[in-house]
Amino acid sequence: MQIPEKPDPLVNNWARPFWDGTREEKLLIQKCADCEKNIFYPRMACPYCFSDNLEWVEASGKGTIYAFTVVESNAASPFVPDMPFVIAVVILEEGVRMLTNIVDCDVDALHCDQAVEVTFRKKNEKFTLPMFRPARDSR
Amino acid sequence: MRKRKRKAAIVGIGEVPTGRFPETEAIQFAVQSAKRAILDAGIDKDEIDCIMPTAAMFSGVYTNEMATGRMVEELGLKNVKINCNIWSGGSSSSNSLKLACAMLEQGEVNNVLMVQAEKLATGMPSGQAGIDLFAFAGQSAEWEVPFGQNFSSLTALATMRYQYETGTTDEQMAAVCVSNRKWAELNPHAFFRKPLTIEEIMASKMLARPLRAKMSNMLFDGGAALIVTSAERAPDVVAKPVYILGEGGRSTHFVFSQEPDMTRFGFAEAGRQAYAQAGLTAKDMDVAEIYDSYPIYQIIGFEALGFCARGEAGEMFLRGDTWPGGKIPCTTDGGMLSKGHIGAGGSYSLLVESVRQLRGTAGERQVPGARFAIETGTGGTYVDAHVTILGSEIP
Repeated sequence: MQIPEKPDPLVNNWARPFWDGTREEKLLIQKCADCEKNIFYPRMACPYCFSDNLEWVEASGKGTIYAFTVVESNAASPFVPDMPFVIAVVILEEGVRMLTNIVDCDVDALHCDQAVEVTFRKKNEKFTLPMFRPARDSR
Repeated sequence: MRKRKRKAAIVGIGEVPTGRFPETEAIQFAVQSAKRAILDAGIDKDEIDCIMPTAAMFSGVYTNEMATGRMVEELGLKNVKINCNIWSGGSSSSNSLKLACAMLEQGEVNNVLMVQAEKLATGMPSGQAGIDLFAFAGQSAEWEVPFGQNFSSLTALATMRYQYETGTTDEQMAAVCVSNRKWAELNPHAFFRKPLTIEEIMASKMLARPLRAKMSNMLFDGGAALIVTSAERAPDVVAKPVYILGEGGRSTHFVFSQEPDMTRFGFAEAGRQAYAQAGLTAKDMDVAEIYDSYPIYQIIGFEALGFCARGEAGEMFLRGDTWPGGKIPCTTDGGMLSKGHIGAGGSYSLLVESVRQLRGTAGERQVPGARFAIETGTGGTYVDAHVTILGSEIP
């Protein structure tokens, strides 16, 4: 059976700078210039103070695993060849959360609150996905 | 939060068994359930002036037909003022009931018919095609789908974090399925009615650590309906009205990874609202009809509503406190884990079951002398927490 391609992110137009950033291996998040809160995923207006005055800043790429799972079966068809693979919610140093994959790791050694760092995986000419791997000092 | 003054009551329930029925159309489940509910209430069908159908996942055609008045015509209703689909996934019944109560309490309408039907087993693709369809349904197409997120994995994330924070074991999580199966064994409308053991669950296929196949719901066909009327009118309609004493709700996320606390969600806040409106506490509850779909959500709901301290629910499910004859019977219809998942019908079923328990008509599942019940619902990727407190009397 032919494996269907993994879906590309369905991009909201105001989020384009994020995806332009990952292509250049930069992890960009928004910051509200008025209330100074960090924001992810990208919003049209600040979800804390409603300001339209949002800026893009580069995140450190460091964070911790809030929760993770190792997908072993019943994945959607495009992801079946990757099984087992790791899905995780990572909390960045900047305080925002994102869903991602943990790669370059021993899946049996992963744990919640483990330190991780960003690594970029090129999907195709249009998209590079931000993934994470155990931080050097926690490997 | 003030105690609620004016109230509404459920006076009619109707339900069809949950299962695989390739020869039956969803509209048949809906009409049959509605008819049963109307006959159960003993009202004239033309006394219904408001219908709240629930959308269905299996078919846009069915959903559109319900939105544009198919039930009005099928049931031959002459006095319907409002026919309006209510859709928020698994919390559709909770939201419908809140809106019905508000309209009844205001005197805007007199008799509301809530109705739901699905064909998730025989009206949709099965096997890998079914997995593919559901993998991308309800997940953010920009922020989650590209990483392979699906319902099993997101539930596994919540389960992993909860077990990490509380020390709850895999066996204690699996005990929720055993508890629900004990009830389903006694429910003729449930699909899975053979005994289930912890060992069988732990031997089943790993889907996404720590979630195993037998810790997951399975999708089926079915339907249910309720008739809701004002509390003033209810005693003249039926001998045993079931009053809606308190309701609460809290939406906490849209994109699953943005949930601030996957080990709690909004159930504690929704519960506070509902208990305050009812003027009751967890100690007053005789039965806890907690939404499952997977063990983690039932455990979180059970704890957040005050039936035990955080981290203790697993052991209670394991030692039988929630089983038939236990001190706080929980999810006595068997839940989506054992009765079967019919989409928005999960929480519909829990409302129907609450009414049976409070009327004293739950047969072999009857909790002796049950006067107060608490029920929960949640929709989509567990985006909202809803709590309803029901009683056979107004305290």
